[in-house]
Amino acid sequence: MIAMLWQNIDYVGSVVLFCIGLYCVITKNNLIKKFIGLNIMETSVFAFIIALGVVDGGEAPIMGAGASAPFTNPIPQALILTGIVVAVSTTALALSLIIRIYEHCGTIEADELREME
Amino acid sequence: MTASALLVGLIIVPLAGAVLTPVVGGRDGARACGWATLVMVVTSGIAAALVVHVAQVGPFSAYLGGWEPPYGIELRFDEFSASVAIICLLGLLAVVFSLRYAAHELPPVRIGTYYTLLLLNLTGMLGFVVTGDVFNLFVFMEILSLSGYALVAISGERTAEMAAFKYLVMGAVSSLLVLFAIGLLYALTGSLNMADISARLSGAAEAPAMLALALLTTGLMVKAALFPLHVWLPDAHAIAPSPVSALLSGLVVKTGLLGLIRVYQIYYGAKVLDLSALNTVLVWLGAISIVMGAFFAIFQEDIKMMLAYSTISNIGYIVMGLGLASQYGMIGATVHIFNHALIKATLFLGAGAIIYRTGYRNLTDLRGVGRSMPFTTAAISVGAISIVGMPPTAGFLCKWYIALGAVQAGHPVFGVALVFGALFIFVYYIRMVNSFYFQQPVHPEILEVKEAPLSMLVPILILAALCLVMGLLGRIPLSFIEPAVTRLLGTVGG
Repeated sequence: MIAMLWQNIDYVGSVVLFCIGLYCVITKNNLIKKFIGLNIMETSVFAFIIALGVVDGGEAPIMGAGASAPFTNPIPQALILTGIVVAVSTTALALSLIIRIYEHCGTIEADELREME
Repeated sequence: MTASALLVGLIIVPLAGAVLTPVVGGRDGARACGWATLVMVVTSGIAAALVVHVAQVGPFSAYLGGWEPPYGIELRFDEFSASVAIICLLGLLAVVFSLRYAAHELPPVRIGTYYTLLLLNLTGMLGFVVTGDVFNLFVFMEILSLSGYALVAISGERTAEMAAFKYLVMGAVSSLLVLFAIGLLYALTGSLNMADISARLSGAAEAPAMLALALLTTGLMVKAALFPLHVWLPDAHAIAPSPVSALLSGLVVKTGLLGLIRVYQIYYGAKVLDLSALNTVLVWLGAISIVMGAFFAIFQEDIKMMLAYSTISNIGYIVMGLGLASQYGMIGATVHIFNHALIKATLFLGAGAIIYRTGYRNLTDLRGVGRSMPFTTAAISVGAISIVGMPPTAGFLCKWYIALGAVQAGHPVFGVALVFGALFIFVYYIRMVNSFYFQQPVHPEILEVKEAPLSMLVPILILAALCLVMGLLGRIPLSFIEPAVTRLLGTVGG
């Protein structure tokens, strides 16, 4: 059991990170902290998918003189590049919403905002 | 032009239109609206051609960049993708409706942005329903979600921004669940193409395949706002500008369900898991959604809040139909995706027109508005009758089919839940119609307001007419979708 977990430490790590992030999103009261939790979740999923493509001793898959197998799988990296772009736009939108909420209400604590409604 | 070129055009045209909106429209809201209308007319033409093509020759594909699957990205157009027709129709009508509404409700500097976001949102939905690649599905889902969050917040009011933030947090978490599942599927099969995944999944290990299924279903259920994952919906849909509410309630939540149909297609074909446990969960959640959505709606005073809760009920109907996994249930659910979009758009746009003219949104304040805005309230009444499911309207047909599906699947008790839910829904819609027509006005000046302007009234009346026509011509969508459902269920041998 322990050996199996150790062998898959990259997957275990990303699942643990995912849960930490989800915990922050659910329990934190401050909107910025909530959002940091969401960013942790994003990172964990990205790390998980990048880890899928890793090959022991693999090289960057760039063809040309001197290129020799094994190669690392490039597809997960290409996917996550897109994923990061999406994550950046989500972060930008969320932060601008938080700024606007602060301007309107003078607070970004979720419980105080709920009282104002 | 070939069908595959048209299929690519279906996404490129609104996307390019969205990017060019600020260039063409500048600071002039009316010009931006004209441009968006033009873009949507072209897109609708393409969508109509594609739907006719699929009816004639069956499903077809386009390979982006000439790379064949499983290496390249495949756009796949099947009978379920025919929902592009309703997306284009509602998109077009919402844009036309926005001409006067946006000028009245939004800060002038944001009107150009509003049309850009609207077109981006529609692009996301169109891409979502035609893609045959799971990662592409995720990208389009994010396009439509991100533009959706921004559209909810666009009026710049405090409550709108808070509703948008709530929507964003739940939406982003659900997107990550879906991305996680896509990673798992890639790890299991080494492919991102849906058909290819389905073919390769049959030899895969059971536990990770089940985890991927659970993550996908949960993620998409948040997008679809199924009870108990609905908490973001009422605020976001009620506070958004009315044309946006119509799109969010009519279409955006449906993409979660269309995504679920795609998941079914992958897993039914793969035969790696027995899906009956999932189906049981879906049927129960659907039934609970129907009753809870209707129950909450009864206590709402705000007309748009009531409509938002009614969406939760109707999502429940569709999910129940899908979960029954019987021929009739599945057909009813798929057609209800289409018909509910029509009905809910009628109601939200009608409510928007009333709020635009009177400035009130509570039922008590709106008493007597039926006398001053006869056409709008008549359209809303048609929508209300239709959503309750009275014959001969569009809503009756699907609910009848879902009830038949419950009997066919051997669970008539869910048919009872369905009728019970419909009674609840009847209660609060009758309350709405009652206060429009039969009660003494609280505010006498409400009798003086004018009927909605033409740019609003025409979309509303077109939609209301379609609610009736789709009830009478119900055979067409039913027989259109039947081969696809038979194919889907045929793969499980049930």
